[in-house]
Amino acid sequence: MTATIVLALRIAMAIALYVFLGWALLTLWQELRQQANNLARQKHPRLGITFRTGQDQLIQNWYTETEITIGRDRNCHLPVTDEAVSAHHARITFHHGQWWLEDLESTNGTYLNNEKLYVPTVLMTGDEFKCGDTLFGVRIESETSDKISPTKRLDTGGPP
Amino acid sequence: MNRIVQGNLLKIAAGFLFLQALITTLSPAVWVRSLDTSLRWPHWIAFAVWCLAVVIAHRLIFRHIPETDPYLFPAAALLSGWGLLTIWRLDPENGARQTLWLTLALITFLFGLRLPASLDFLKKYKYLLLTGGMLLTGLTLFFGTNPTGYGPRLWLSCCGFYFQPSEPLKLLLVTYLSAYLADRIPIRLRTFPLIYPTLVLIGFAVMLLVFQRDLGTASIFIALYTIIIYLGTGRREVIVTSAFLLILVAAGGYYFVDIIQTRFDSWLNPWADPQGGSYQIVQSLLAVANGGVEGRGPGLGNPGFVPVAISDFIYAAIAEETGLIGTLGLLAAIGLIIARGLRVSLRAPDLFRRLLAAGITAYFGIQSILIIGGNLRFLPLTGVTLPFMSYGGSSLLTSYIALLFLLLISNNMDEEPAQLTNPFPYTSLSALLAVGLFMTALTNGWWSVVRGPDLLTRSDNSRRTVEDRYVKRGSILDRSNTEINITEGNAGGYIRVYQYPALAPVVGYNHPRYGQAGLEATFDDYLRGLKGNPATAVWWDQLVYGTNPPGLDVRLSLDLPLQARADERLADKTGAVILLNAQTGEILVMASHPTFDPNALDEIGPSLKDDSGKPLINRAAMGLYPAGSLLAPFKQMLNINENSGAGELQRVYETFRLDSAPAIQMQVAEGGSTPELEHFHVSPLQVALASSALSNHGMIPAPMIASAVNTPNDGWVVLSAAGMPVEAVQPSAADEAATALTREGDGYWSHIAETTEKDVTVTWYMAGTPPNWQASPLVVVVLLEERNTYLAERIGAELLLSAMNP
Repeated sequence: MTATIVLALRIAMAIALYVFLGWALLTLWQELRQQANNLARQKHPRLGITFRTGQDQLIQNWYTETEITIGRDRNCHLPVTDEAVSAHHARITFHHGQWWLEDLESTNGTYLNNEKLYVPTVLMTGDEFKCGDTLFGVRIESETSDKISPTKRLDTGGPP
Repeated sequence: MNRIVQGNLLKIAAGFLFLQALITTLSPAVWVRSLDTSLRWPHWIAFAVWCLAVVIAHRLIFRHIPETDPYLFPAAALLSGWGLLTIWRLDPENGARQTLWLTLALITFLFGLRLPASLDFLKKYKYLLLTGGMLLTGLTLFFGTNPTGYGPRLWLSCCGFYFQPSEPLKLLLVTYLSAYLADRIPIRLRTFPLIYPTLVLIGFAVMLLVFQRDLGTASIFIALYTIIIYLGTGRREVIVTSAFLLILVAAGGYYFVDIIQTRFDSWLNPWADPQGGSYQIVQSLLAVANGGVEGRGPGLGNPGFVPVAISDFIYAAIAEETGLIGTLGLLAAIGLIIARGLRVSLRAPDLFRRLLAAGITAYFGIQSILIIGGNLRFLPLTGVTLPFMSYGGSSLLTSYIALLFLLLISNNMDEEPAQLTNPFPYTSLSALLAVGLFMTALTNGWWSVVRGPDLLTRSDNSRRTVEDRYVKRGSILDRSNTEINITEGNAGGYIRVYQYPALAPVVGYNHPRYGQAGLEATFDDYLRGLKGNPATAVWWDQLVYGTNPPGLDVRLSLDLPLQARADERLADKTGAVILLNAQTGEILVMASHPTFDPNALDEIGPSLKDDSGKPLINRAAMGLYPAGSLLAPFKQMLNINENSGAGELQRVYETFRLDSAPAIQMQVAEGGSTPELEHFHVSPLQVALASSALSNHGMIPAPMIASAVNTPNDGWVVLSAAGMPVEAVQPSAADEAATALTREGDGYWSHIAETTEKDVTVTWYMAGTPPNWQASPLVVVVLLEERNTYLAERIGAELLLSAMNP
């Protein structure tokens, strides 16, 4: 009789162990899902880039990606035909709540507002940068009032 | 949210530990299969202390570091509670000590929570701390002791407490290296500055190895060093160099340090020396095998057979009592700590914290895998502790301080993670630890499921002896159910009692130290209840008690009154007597002298083996003696004259089965001859069977010693003979020969022979009922290891007559 009770207790003990692990996994999964949803909801201001093509056309593109590469390579987000532009010339990324321009060690360098770029630098509306002989104008979408501040945690479930 | 997750996890962990404590309390009742015994209570102190400490810690953690990782502390608390209860179950005295250590560790942990600046403090005073740690460890060279009194002297002792400085030194090393690299790396680290810490470390590891013979700590040092440098610099040559170094250290240890050589040898081939160098590992594997998939239950296994089960082999103890189910959960909990620790590392706001968190995680992971792998013979055995679980204050304290650092680092989620230029070292580390855990889980499955059943039958598995004390063994009875060997006492104290000691060479014994012999060995399956019981009963008893069901009684064909006559007549002579039912093959008397008293095995055991009289041998079945002229009647039955050739003699041996072992469930010898022997050698049992042809019209019966077994469902079930009867000669030839052997006035045939081989003379006597005997035909064979035809005839004739006329 005792042995049967103890057997039941042993089964319960094994279940408790796996409930512990299961609960941990469940909450981890929930956290992951929430994080994914938060990231999906997260908005960043669109970036508008104005430039003149080889045919002397003025083009303005609006980008929703968070990473834009510029270069002669056709796989770049913003391919240019300028001979003075390297294959992967420069990159614009959105992080820490800002758009950043960085030079990808290009042959002829990248110039922001006529100054050579050495470290990633924040872009603002009205900035102009030059890759090779091509000049790009920058516009950042204005309704950025509810943008995610860099210090705000990603998951909304904070402590009470 | 975090607080709720951690609170819930702690509640589940408390439930788990409550059940473990409850089962441990009830376990004595399961052992003796009755509630009428004293239950275990003291370990509830440990449970109470654990609950109190964890509740306080839970509150304080969220008061001081509310953003901390909610999985790390519950997993660590689960492991330490599990370890604590296991230690208490194995050794209450050390369990009490460990409870104190846990209290101390948690107080230190909580005190550390109040010092959020503690990490910066560490960074600032890294040299001082490392030097201090090394000095303390260095002191063990001169003042080191070992609590057990032997083995490596890695502890410093003070006021009855022992402290192992090499434990916190591991953490100090991680801290130091993290701080050092975090300071150096931004200013383009060259190879040269790395050499200083490397040299110091190598020197230290070698010192540990040479003077302290501590391969485990030395290899953990090198592993942690490698991992942190690799994480910090991303240079692969670090790994190559360290792997080379590790091999060098291991090889050096192998050739110059005995204990390391023993451990490597016992890792590569544990079965070569299971009583010596690889005793620990073999016993550990036996414990894992005994656990199987479902485990014996807390308090219901015998992990105490594994040496140092509370510290080095706590994993084996847990594997025995909770089975593969439990250990997979344990490995998953360790995996949870590792996964969360690495996440903390990746989210850390600066390089120092990132390296520190990764180093601590690596420390937990590597040390766990190293010792679990050692327990499972997946890696060579190193005497390191299992973090949070093993007995040992220094280890527990260090583990909790390391956990504190992880929690403090994880609290800084507000800041963006520091930039990670090369993620590859981090993914490699997590892959390494994951593969390590996965391999230990696989190895565990191999020993507990695939190899387990085989392992458990090993003779050095002491669990069978324990089982004999707790489960009643079946009795051995004679043909009229008179007790020969029985089990007396109560559960927990069963002992084997031998009511008819003179039968010892035949019926044998079942002894905790000397194992089994005779029929006790050959009928062990029935006597132990493995055979004859329904399969479900065997399965159920294995599941709930971890033992076999109560054993079944075996009834032998022996007739004790006749046996007593034979023993009385043989007295202190050396020889054997067999009385056989020539028709059914039932052995009614089987005596072998000299004999011994198995009740006194404890005292006489050591001398029995060297006794010149060889009382352990059953002369009737296993003694081989020169046949010589004893074979005359058999030649006559085949019409072969005295001066026959070798081919004709061979026909005699084959016809009367003298050259093959009798098919019977006991240890028997088969007759034979070698060139240096003058005569063909046969055993008395073979002669008795062959001479049955004379009384049984040429038929040789299949011999039997056990007639029935008492099963729970069907009562006495008759056992059949192992062999088949054979017709050796024509009935007429046999009857004719028997008549020729019958002397005037005797109511039976008889034949006597003396044979000398190498100056030793034996006397044979065989006799049997005449062919026209109306009742069961009987034959008797007497063998004396001396020249004494008078006594041989007297014993044989008297025994035959009293069997013929009961």
